[in-house]
Amino acid sequence: MSQANQVVQMPMLPNMQKRAVPTVARHEGRPWLHLPALVFMIVLTQIPFLLAVWFSIHAWNLLVPSEGFPFVGLANYITEFIGDPNFWPIMGNTLQLVVGAMILALIGGTILALLLNRPMRGRSVLRGIATVPFLVTPSVMALIWKNLFLSPTSGMANWLLHFIGIRPVPWFSAFPLQSIIFIVAWEWTPFVMLVILAGLQSVPGEVMEAAKVDGANAFTTFWRVVFPLLRKPYEIAILFGTIFIFQTFGEIYVTTSGGPGITTNTLPYYTYRTALNSFQIGQAAALGVIGVIVAILAARGMLRLMTERAVSERG
Amino acid sequence: MGIEATRKWSNYAWTTLTYLLVFLLVFPVLWMALTGFKTEIAAITVPPTLFFQPTLDQFLLAINGGFGAYLFNSVAASLVSTALAMVLGIPAAYAMVFQMRNKSSNDMLFFVLSTRFMPFAAILVPLYVIITRLNLLDNLFVLIVVYTAMNLPLIIWMARSYFMDLPKEVLEGAWLDGCSTLQTIVRIVVPMAAPGLAAAALLAVIFAWNDFFFAVTLTYTNSPTLPIMVAAFTSNEGLFLAKVSALATMIILVPVAIGIYAQKHLVQGLTGGALK
Repeated sequence: MSQANQVVQMPMLPNMQKRAVPTVARHEGRPWLHLPALVFMIVLTQIPFLLAVWFSIHAWNLLVPSEGFPFVGLANYITEFIGDPNFWPIMGNTLQLVVGAMILALIGGTILALLLNRPMRGRSVLRGIATVPFLVTPSVMALIWKNLFLSPTSGMANWLLHFIGIRPVPWFSAFPLQSIIFIVAWEWTPFVMLVILAGLQSVPGEVMEAAKVDGANAFTTFWRVVFPLLRKPYEIAILFGTIFIFQTFGEIYVTTSGGPGITTNTLPYYTYRTALNSFQIGQAAALGVIGVIVAILAARGMLRLMTERAVSERG
Repeated sequence: MGIEATRKWSNYAWTTLTYLLVFLLVFPVLWMALTGFKTEIAAITVPPTLFFQPTLDQFLLAINGGFGAYLFNSVAASLVSTALAMVLGIPAAYAMVFQMRNKSSNDMLFFVLSTRFMPFAAILVPLYVIITRLNLLDNLFVLIVVYTAMNLPLIIWMARSYFMDLPKEVLEGAWLDGCSTLQTIVRIVVPMAAPGLAAAALLAVIFAWNDFFFAVTLTYTNSPTLPIMVAAFTSNEGLFLAKVSALATMIILVPVAIGIYAQKHLVQGLTGGALK
């Protein structure tokens, strides 16, 4: 299978069509070597999830033990959807964070990938250096961003801005969500870069050369020739990036703790707060289940969009 | 100026731009490392100072601030969980590639991927309740188990994709020679896929090392890891910028070194082998 084909496969289930080796029939009986891992994952992820569903249809507040554990049906879900004034704004924050950080990372990652795809001295070293924002501990770097660069008094951002006559901006109180989006985008830019670089390696050099000879400028070359060939890498970057950015937690915890008010609460963060700050276990479980449903729907939606387009193109 | 000269010139321009952008991208990390060598006063001076009398005081402060205990927890949690994930994951990947029928192998892969996609927050609530009931809150053991579960999918999908690339003749030779499954895995499959498996393990270490979510929710007081130490450092009164920068620099050295070393395998590890 050619390199290009490797890249242009279904994003979700890679190499599926590659057969698991049909080997000498030496394996009598059923395979069982995967069972320990399977059991472990079921115990650590599936059973807790089922428990979350069970908790979510009960009222359970650890601070009010006298209430017990009464069955309440879908009341916790209805509370979220209708009764909780925070829920929909928080869903909005989550969407802004995921979409905003993803778009910024896609733009930055694309530019870096294209630049680092050119032959130049020290290219592999540069690529390594450019991955650093993705490797550093996210919560630690968010704290550094907040205090070293975006601090209203001694931050470097404000010092640079004063040269063009902009007064000091209290970043985390004036633009809390945007500041977090920016930090998260910074972290994920190298991820997009790496995925696009991997994709660019499957774009034949002749294609680029041909476009250049035809007198296309760099932008046209990219937009008309390279970009369509990079569809799968982009889809993979978006699918994985979205799912991981959705989980952003440490960055919020160390910078704003979800505030001011609820402006930087996202669904996972709100779930955590409901569980471990207000100890409303039933309610938090419902939020967790909603989170899983949102993640599944988003992943399926993205996959469907991708496959449908692929099919319509072939037809 | 001829076409050739123009081309050469524009080449230089693009290369310079590349260097500049990469520098800007990592500038925050560089500046943080630099700040770690400043005094607290120098760290908050505006305009920022590039030249100063460097000091190791902040690093010493951080190290004397209980660094050792946090470090031990971080190292133990990352290494033990990675080792466990390898022990569970490698046989599973072997079964998926060499033993299971296509359909069940694909089902297993789908299940593995979906567990990695499940939002952590969803399982936090029940995990927290179970762990509290078992009296295991604030216990390093819990963190190890949770990180094992977090990294197992990564190990399985990476090992799987490396095993699929192994030359089948060698394996069939081993089977014909009467090697048991265990012997085949230990003597043939693991050594042949060693570079890839090592990369998988290194990535798993990074994920465990960088985790904040489980560390802060499950083990805040008794067995906290290094990211928790940073968060705790800033909540103190007074100036802390240089001190935190020094501490942060020491913490990120590990994932940065590992990540750059295993750079070629990063994409594959993160995207479930969808890209190589």
